[in-house]
Amino acid sequence: MKKYFYTDGTNNFGPFTLEELREKLITRETKVWFQELGEWKSAGNVPELNEIFKLAPPPISKTNSNFNNMENINNQKPPKTWLVESILVTLFCCLPFGIAGIVNAAKVESRFYAGDINGANRSSEDAKKWTTVSFWIGVAVGVIYLIVVMAGAASKF
Amino acid sequence: MLQVNFRKFIKWSIALILVSILAIFYRTYNPTCNIYFPKCPFWELTGFKCPGCGSQRALHYLLNLDIFSAIKENAILVISIPYILAGLTFDSVKKPNEYILKWRKTLFGRNAIVVILTIIIAFWILRNIIY
Repeated sequence: MKKYFYTDGTNNFGPFTLEELREKLITRETKVWFQELGEWKSAGNVPELNEIFKLAPPPISKTNSNFNNMENINNQKPPKTWLVESILVTLFCCLPFGIAGIVNAAKVESRFYAGDINGANRSSEDAKKWTTVSFWIGVAVGVIYLIVVMAGAASKF
Repeated sequence: MLQVNFRKFIKWSIALILVSILAIFYRTYNPTCNIYFPKCPFWELTGFKCPGCGSQRALHYLLNLDIFSAIKENAILVISIPYILAGLTFDSVKKPNEYILKWRKTLFGRNAIVVILTIIIAFWILRNIIY
């Protein structure tokens, strides 16, 4: 019969049988040890103890908390800011839309590095919208202008 | 998959052809003495230059490798070319490492964008005062 030990960090308890261990209200984070394990391991990581936790709720996930986000965020690529495209739009086509794009690019950056990933994605969509709109306005204005000038030139003949 | 790639290929080919035609057009004709180039509506309406005024003429001079004339027409366009190329390069990196991300944040982060906006607006005001 396997003998299990567990520790609260300072004191070790045991030996217990699996049945006894079940009574001890250990959690997935409790360090446990038995001969075959070699070293202390979190009980949640020991497959044969899984059935103890079957009825226990899972630990509260920390991945959604701001703290963990802040740690990961510096290793991630922010969503596309459309900064370069907005600058080109400002210089070649539609000043107000270009400025709106640049402001949204700034929002993407500040929201992303503040941990507001959803907000950053929304601003990215906004920036994309403004650049796309102004790109097609630019194309349309150019084409219409060309047609008008050509019609004017043609009517002179 | 093949069909998607083919469609992409066609799309980019058409874009490339259109850009080439435009480039030849802008290289050959000087917007200053030609009526086929659209004029800036801001200038037409207010009599003031906008930050983009002169960019078509600057493009014409750039394509003819006359950088000094291009700077005279629209300095901010010429100055921003290396920055724009760098930005496109940074954008095209799919999985950047920590080092690239750090540089990206410095050059294209929020503070950098605020500086750019300030430069554009300062240029807008100054070019109307000085000339």
